[in-house]
Amino acid sequence: MITATALTKRYGAKTAVHDLSFEVRPGQVTGFLGPNGAGKSTTMRMIVGLDRPDTGSVTVGGKPYAEHRAPLHEVGALLDAKAVHTGRTAENHLLAMAATHGIAKRRVHEVIELTGLESVARKRVGGFSLGMGQRLGIAAAMLGDPSVLILDEPVNGLDPEGVLWVRQLVRHLAGEGRTVFLSSHLMSEMAQTADHLIVLGRGEIIADAPVEEIIAAGTRQRVRVRSPHASQLAELLAAPDVVIIRSEAGLLEITGLEAAGIGDLAAANGLAIHELTPQNASLEEAYLALTADAVEYRTEAVR
Amino acid sequence: MTTATTAARPVQGGPRLPHTARLSFGGILRSEWIKLRSLRSTVWSYLIVVAISLGMAVLMSFSLANGMSGMDVSAAPPAEQTGMVLQSAVFGTYFGQLVVAVLGVLIISGEYTTGMIRSTLSAVPKRLPALAGKAVVLFVATLVVGVVTNLAAFGVAAAIFAGSGVHVSLFAENVLLVLGGAALYLALVSVFALGIGTIIRSSAGGIAAVLGILLLLPTVLGLIPAEWASDLMPYLLSSAGMTMFMTIGADPATLPGPNAWQSLLVVLAWLAVSLAGAAVLLKRRDA
Repeated sequence: MITATALTKRYGAKTAVHDLSFEVRPGQVTGFLGPNGAGKSTTMRMIVGLDRPDTGSVTVGGKPYAEHRAPLHEVGALLDAKAVHTGRTAENHLLAMAATHGIAKRRVHEVIELTGLESVARKRVGGFSLGMGQRLGIAAAMLGDPSVLILDEPVNGLDPEGVLWVRQLVRHLAGEGRTVFLSSHLMSEMAQTADHLIVLGRGEIIADAPVEEIIAAGTRQRVRVRSPHASQLAELLAAPDVVIIRSEAGLLEITGLEAAGIGDLAAANGLAIHELTPQNASLEEAYLALTADAVEYRTEAVR
Repeated sequence: MTTATTAARPVQGGPRLPHTARLSFGGILRSEWIKLRSLRSTVWSYLIVVAISLGMAVLMSFSLANGMSGMDVSAAPPAEQTGMVLQSAVFGTYFGQLVVAVLGVLIISGEYTTGMIRSTLSAVPKRLPALAGKAVVLFVATLVVGVVTNLAAFGVAAAIFAGSGVHVSLFAENVLLVLGGAALYLALVSVFALGIGTIIRSSAGGIAAVLGILLLLPTVLGLIPAEWASDLMPYLLSSAGMTMFMTIGADPATLPGPNAWQSLLVVLAWLAVSLAGAAVLLKRRDA
């Protein structure tokens, strides 16, 4: 359980996060979503006490992180895949981390195996690819068998197999009752991994709700209709808040009406329908709709 | 890309461990010891200290023993003979201090430049025990290397002087004190540099700062033709450091400034300022 209360952090004149209050609950994967520069990493660093909030506070399991007798048992954090000395081997890095808490050597080799690093464990980290660095970061986070996991962009640089592995790992960890707090800029990844989402834009919380709710709230549902009588149907359906897009002959994309209503209307008028499909909005669309006003570095639309 | 490492693992968090392990200062010391010995730069630095000390001892011994000053060294009074052998044995400390100073800076600045500091401070979120752990491990390691090196250098020097008919025992008065004092100075300089490295957080800046304090400051002060400048000289880190072991057993009347023990206190004062600044900034700053 992570509890943030009115967290504010400024770097000079720039406010990184403003008045954040949220809870990350155990037993589920909580996604932390937001455009670049929204303040996700800053927030995560404040949770483990690397950055000090200007005002507000954050606790893990009821206490500030630094007050725990065995911090690595409480929280495992992957904040930056490069938080490792490049001149040291992966194994020595993990042994040094483990030694602070008197964690057994056996556990070090367990996490090396768990993250698939056996063949490179005795190599110096400087030569690691981004993906291997991520695996080492995850191994370090798992070292203390923590009840809370904080992972900042864990799939960054991983190959598809690695992405799948991380997804299964975090689902499994949440299934064991642990608290998993995961940031990612890959919205599609979040849709498949997270149960709950906290969406951040320009340092403030835009949304804090279960994934389905955010998707539902973020976009209006679209219905795809294929019919030989497309033109007639379109005339019948026309109404002030109904948007109909005819992308090709015989195909309508309708926003603002339920699939059932469209089907009933077509039946009542004796018009044949070949396809009637509600289109599920993607999290990507929901996210873009949510953060449209809160993007710090906007890319100009390609014309 | 190493394909061998991408084999998917059965998904598991590993067995839940019995949570008996605790963060402890003993654990932090072990951790810092693993960190110290698992970097090539550390091993190289210490090897260079050993090589320089032995090399300088050989050079110095030959030039002194072969009557550089035109005198017959075997005819010199015993105290002077001991002095010459000792001077040869610890001569390398002048250069060794620069090497251990660089090492002291790198121990912490290397963590800042690579990002390792975030791992270190996540494991030790109260922060000061991490700095203390580094200081203790660095101090002890440098002291041990210094003692062993100085004993070896003394052995080399004594052997060379023996060829010229000068025989000095390791157990002669003050010999062990001087050799140990020189090693202690090396250890203290390395910890001083650790403090500076923590304050400055960059390798280049930290190294420039400690070398500036050790080398440049005495030179600059020497160029100032004022009495206060020459009065200040014995209180500089490197001057006090040399005095604290080179003048052990010397007649106080022959010393212009503080004696060996007072100079040790001066060195400790430099250390205290550096470490206090490091502690305050480490605790206060974002990592």
